[in-house]
Amino acid sequence: MKSFLHTIGLATMVAVAAGLWLKAQDQDQTTFHVKVDMVVLSFSVTDSHGKYVNGLKPKDFKVFEDEIPEKVATFTEGNHAPLQVLDSGETKPLHVASASNESGVGPAQDLRQDAAGTNVFVLFDTSNYMYRGFVYASDAIADFIRGLDRADSVAIYTYSRNLNRAVALNRDRTSAIAGLRRAVAGDDSALYNCLLLTLRDAAKVPGRKVVIVFSNGPDNASMVAPDDVRAVAEDEGIPIYVISTSEVNKDPISSTIFKRISTNTGGKSYFAKTWQKQVEAFESIREDLGNSYTITYYPQPNPNEGFRKIRVEMTSDTAKKYRIRARPGYRPQRGI
Amino acid sequence: MTLRLRENYPVKGTLVLFILAGLSACILSLPALAASDRSPSDPAQQREAAGDMAGALALLQKQAGDGTPQSLKNFALFLDRHTEDGRREAFLKWAAVETDPEVRKLALKQAVLIDFMQGKDADLSRDLSEYRAAGGQDLQSPKRSANAQHYSTVSIPGPLSSFARMAALSPDAAPEDLLPALARNVVTNGYEASGNEALQQTEYLRLLVRYIGQARELQAMARNQKIVIPACDSEETGNLLKVLGYRMRGACGGDMVLETVNATRAFLTADSGFPLTQLEQDLRANHRFELPYAPTQVPVLYSAKYWIEAVNQNQADFLDAFLSDPSICRLYLGLSHLDRQTAAALREQASAAKLKIYAHVLDFFGSMFQIKDGVAVVPGSAKVWGAMVGVPPSNPGAFFAKLLATDDGWMASYFDVLSRIEGPTAAYLTQPDRMKRFYDALRGKITSPGPARPVFRSSTELTLLATSLRIDPDGQPHIPGNLEVWRNLFIHHPHGKYDGKLTRSAASWKNSDDVIEALFGLSRKSVENEPLKIFLALNDVDRGRAKPMSPELASRLVAGYRTFGAQYALFADAPALSEGSIEQYLDLCRQSKDMRDTLLRADDIGTLQALAGLWRILVLQDSIPAARQDASFTKLLAPFTHVKQEGDVLDAGRSGIDTLLAAAGKQPGSMRQEQIVELLVGKLRPANGNQPASPAEVLLRVFDAQLLVPLDSIFTIADRAGKEPIDPKTVKSLDEQISRLQETQSLRSSISAEERNTFAVGYWSDRHIDQEKKLNIDKLVKNTEKRDARDALEPFLRDSLVGLLYSYYAPPGAQLLLTNSSFVRSHDFIGPENAPAAWAPTEVAGTGWPESGGGRLVGSLISLPYAVAEAEQNFLTPKREQALIWADLVPQMIVDVTVNRWRNVTPEQIRWVGLHVARGESLIAASAFNSGVETAVLNSYRRFATPSRVEWLQDRLESGDFKTAIANVPTSALYALALDPKLANISPDIYLTEAAEIASQHDPSLSPQAIAHTFGTPKPTLTHSLQPGLLYLRIFPALMGYSSRILAESWESNNIYFAALADRTGIPVGELDSYVPEWNRAAIENIFATHLEDWPALLRSLHAVGTNIQQQHVLQANIRNSEN
Repeated sequence: MKSFLHTIGLATMVAVAAGLWLKAQDQDQTTFHVKVDMVVLSFSVTDSHGKYVNGLKPKDFKVFEDEIPEKVATFTEGNHAPLQVLDSGETKPLHVASASNESGVGPAQDLRQDAAGTNVFVLFDTSNYMYRGFVYASDAIADFIRGLDRADSVAIYTYSRNLNRAVALNRDRTSAIAGLRRAVAGDDSALYNCLLLTLRDAAKVPGRKVVIVFSNGPDNASMVAPDDVRAVAEDEGIPIYVISTSEVNKDPISSTIFKRISTNTGGKSYFAKTWQKQVEAFESIREDLGNSYTITYYPQPNPNEGFRKIRVEMTSDTAKKYRIRARPGYRPQRGI
Repeated sequence: MTLRLRENYPVKGTLVLFILAGLSACILSLPALAASDRSPSDPAQQREAAGDMAGALALLQKQAGDGTPQSLKNFALFLDRHTEDGRREAFLKWAAVETDPEVRKLALKQAVLIDFMQGKDADLSRDLSEYRAAGGQDLQSPKRSANAQHYSTVSIPGPLSSFARMAALSPDAAPEDLLPALARNVVTNGYEASGNEALQQTEYLRLLVRYIGQARELQAMARNQKIVIPACDSEETGNLLKVLGYRMRGACGGDMVLETVNATRAFLTADSGFPLTQLEQDLRANHRFELPYAPTQVPVLYSAKYWIEAVNQNQADFLDAFLSDPSICRLYLGLSHLDRQTAAALREQASAAKLKIYAHVLDFFGSMFQIKDGVAVVPGSAKVWGAMVGVPPSNPGAFFAKLLATDDGWMASYFDVLSRIEGPTAAYLTQPDRMKRFYDALRGKITSPGPARPVFRSSTELTLLATSLRIDPDGQPHIPGNLEVWRNLFIHHPHGKYDGKLTRSAASWKNSDDVIEALFGLSRKSVENEPLKIFLALNDVDRGRAKPMSPELASRLVAGYRTFGAQYALFADAPALSEGSIEQYLDLCRQSKDMRDTLLRADDIGTLQALAGLWRILVLQDSIPAARQDASFTKLLAPFTHVKQEGDVLDAGRSGIDTLLAAAGKQPGSMRQEQIVELLVGKLRPANGNQPASPAEVLLRVFDAQLLVPLDSIFTIADRAGKEPIDPKTVKSLDEQISRLQETQSLRSSISAEERNTFAVGYWSDRHIDQEKKLNIDKLVKNTEKRDARDALEPFLRDSLVGLLYSYYAPPGAQLLLTNSSFVRSHDFIGPENAPAAWAPTEVAGTGWPESGGGRLVGSLISLPYAVAEAEQNFLTPKREQALIWADLVPQMIVDVTVNRWRNVTPEQIRWVGLHVARGESLIAASAFNSGVETAVLNSYRRFATPSRVEWLQDRLESGDFKTAIANVPTSALYALALDPKLANISPDIYLTEAAEIASQHDPSLSPQAIAHTFGTPKPTLTHSLQPGLLYLRIFPALMGYSSRILAESWESNNIYFAALADRTGIPVGELDSYVPEWNRAAIENIFATHLEDWPALLRSLHAVGTNIQQQHVLQANIRNSEN
């Protein structure tokens, strides 16, 4: 048995590689390579009035995993390009190379531009539950796509009983909107099945990513539980934003689940029945994306192979009153 | 698509001719192509076997440079096998130097057939002349006759793509299939009963009608069949946007966007796929917007007038009239199933307005109607049919018209069922006396409601009975046990009376006909037909047994059917089981009911069923030889008879594993986990480029994701806890899994009280998991609680054994098994108190109750493969935006490759299937050149196709459209054509010759049984067994109670197609167990079907995926070629 597992472990290391790791090549250049165990953590900082706090530097934070201090490897504010964090706490620009380059397949590629921005996966409910508001929802999502930062990439997925990958992740807003408008109204709703598949896709993409669910709420066809889906999002570091077209009190179960899923993954939930509210919700998400921070680190040795709690702490006393919104933790991936 | 050739090659040399006496007695003499010339030591052969197609091609090409017939032949055959471009030229070059006149003719004939297949008329004319000049007599110029078409055209507004989206039609359907598909959608989805029982349009039809209105408005705006918006601020802009339901937000320019103003219209615009984004772009840039917008001409049967007149309303437009009357749609469907002659004869008998009264019967049961030589073709005696219908078959139009109108469809359903069967069963059932007698039993006294009234055909049991009935060598139906067993069932009916009349008549039964008559009598009932189900199940148990089951066993199986009937599939899978073993298993089933402790009972049942499931897999895989099957099964069961507590179950489980290992020739007692995994799925293969994960890797991933504990760890701790030191790593591995389990479960504890109450129906608390979570491994190892470690660890053993089965049946793309880490542990072996599930079929529960903790499986493990496939199917993602996963068909398609695992496939088997599929195609191509061949081939094809499909194929061939023709013949039918002894002397070709050479070696792995076992599909409903097989049935329609599940079981083309694809691509056989499941997944995701009987959509998907795989493969080969 052991030999089985060992071989699979190696295979996994190569095949499931995701994320980036830092490697100093020379004095002037730093190169990213794919590695499996890097943690990506996105969070936002707000003041006592709920306003985003911008302009913070890596030295303004401390990150703990199970109360073990972690060394931040890269730091990104909003949609800016990521910066390498030196031992001194200072930062410098990165040179990014694809993992495949190291294996000798494909040309070297400067990914600095690619590393900037957020990979946004929009999951649009086209089930019968959305039938009445389908076109308005489509308009609201189209507006959101138009307003995304130029550095952001967007994928459009739709779902009813099955998932449809309408538009793959790219920066072409026109194709994204065209794909959105090709969506076809469906029947049953398998929200959590399809959210899981979306997270699996997102997990394969390096860099910061979020999933935005636009749904009426009910699910009558899923086999997977919301909390299992939530766990995947937590582990992969993918915040989930949910815009529900239902009123918060009308479907308390869905509302509760939405809140829990979004909160535990570092996202937010909105209950926006009207088109105007939906537009506002999207505006809020866009603002969140533009004002959040993303750091990466390689966990220090930690015997805990279960859930590891993450805590981000402000270093200065004045900043300690700020509110930090981040996912609470994750479970490390296991090589089989 | 082609592998890149490097250089041209000169031609010279000769080829040796063989005379064979091998393949079949029918083949008198065939020129040998000497495939054996390329021995296994041949470098090109070696490269080909290793999957290096580019390398093999390069070598063969180089060898062909010497110009000898042998090398040119090798090269031509290689190109042909891999369907490479340039094969026609290669055959011509070979023919040019070939000295043996017979062999030369074969080479030239192949060039002619390739020309025809590729639609190259100019080459065809040339090559045919050369072939005939070389003495070829069997190919004449192909007929090019356009048969009297019974189609005209009607116009539908707007582009077809938009109409298809709104009408939920597959855009890939053939033009003449569009209106039948629309008709079916209108019939099944277009109308619903309103309060006053009148029909009213459904939302589907309302939207379609609204769309047609919008499309007409757009069409009216079009000039010269184009919608043109000259500039953003033009008048046309406003007009167009108004029709579309949109408006501009912002002034013309870069910031302008389109937004909804009329939701109803905007929905139609979006849902029909109007290019709104393009319009928006052009308006923003102030570009001229042009959109071709013209009505689409669609073929319609006969004429629009025929249908409009039948509607009996003041409708002027075909589409409006058609959509307004579901009965006329039904008639359209029914007539579209008929060949031209039969349809014409029926139409002569009655007007459309009259025919539509019986349209439902014609639709469901008319597709086998056929007229030949002016007489209706009937199954069995024409005289009897004449008497039953009241009109002789010699008056075919009137005969069929009366048949439709008789007994509300029961007689038509009987005719349909008898027309679909052949062989001894058909001979038995159509014997004149029986035919009338059995029909009388079926018909009963009250004929309404008829079998065509419901949404699905309600003649399911009749169909299953006629299809599955087994006739013994004496020409009598096989009656499991003896007559007395069945008499008893009807008289004493252990679970309540079935039918008063049958109960009375059973006392006077004299022979098997009486039993069959009773079964016909029951088969019209949609309920209370348990005896029929029992009969079919026992028939399948008895089917492969060397000695028929005894009356005693039959009686016991009959009596226990309601509780344990699902388990009989295990006995049908393994005909070598003795009656003693079957009795032993049934004893255990019964014994388990007496266990009061439900936790112990669930563990006992779960462990036993898991071991039986593993044994079943090893039997189906031939890992346990037939001679050891019975003894190993008995030995496996024995320890379970003494179970008193959990520790006993653990011991029984360990003993069972060791029994399995020993029976399969492995070493019991050590490395159990590794050995059992290897037995199930083979050795782990390291990841290799783009190659899919090996089955062992997939299994182990699922096993770990389910937090299961390796068998050896469990046994080690169970044996040593409190007694001797245990390797800390072993303890740690168990401890970790328990921690992960606790953590996973704590996630679910976040369910609020309100949620729990709301979802009470779907929520369950699982005591089995709770007890596992509570285990303190440290205390157990130190034995501080003085607890028997075996008791504590048995629940984990149960999960690991059950988990091995779940992992084994995990399909590619499985998500549930990788995400819900409690899925295996949640298996409910007990079920609710009022519906015990321990021995019932496996069912999926909890779908759509996501907050309950996700779905789970309930029942026994007997139908686990299907249940796992059913649970995982919704994680497949259709490639087409409108398509959905076909919920009743897809699980069976998944099971085709999770039960039949493509292990131990030999290169010879792959070549054998590839060769026969190619021969089938060749026969169909040759039909176009020779009327004798055409008659023979089409007659053979009739075994699998309805008369109208045979006619359709003939039409395509005569129009020279081979590609369309062949794309609509199921691959299993192609394979069966090549196997048909009646075609063995027809149109000799290179494939027949090579097949004869291979057959002369008498390789047992190429026997029909071996091929069916290797590339067949399991048919749990039709055969009550998972034994893969090929039945070569006509594809079943959708049936009440099964939807398209039986259709899926009769669909045998996937594995045959994949074998032929493997032959073409040259993928090494040792890797097919990785590739084929992925191909199958791709084929499922690519299906775009319009309705539940749209099997051509399956074939289209297979071909599309196959083409794509071949292209990828060629691309990779070319890359390697360039690198070399």
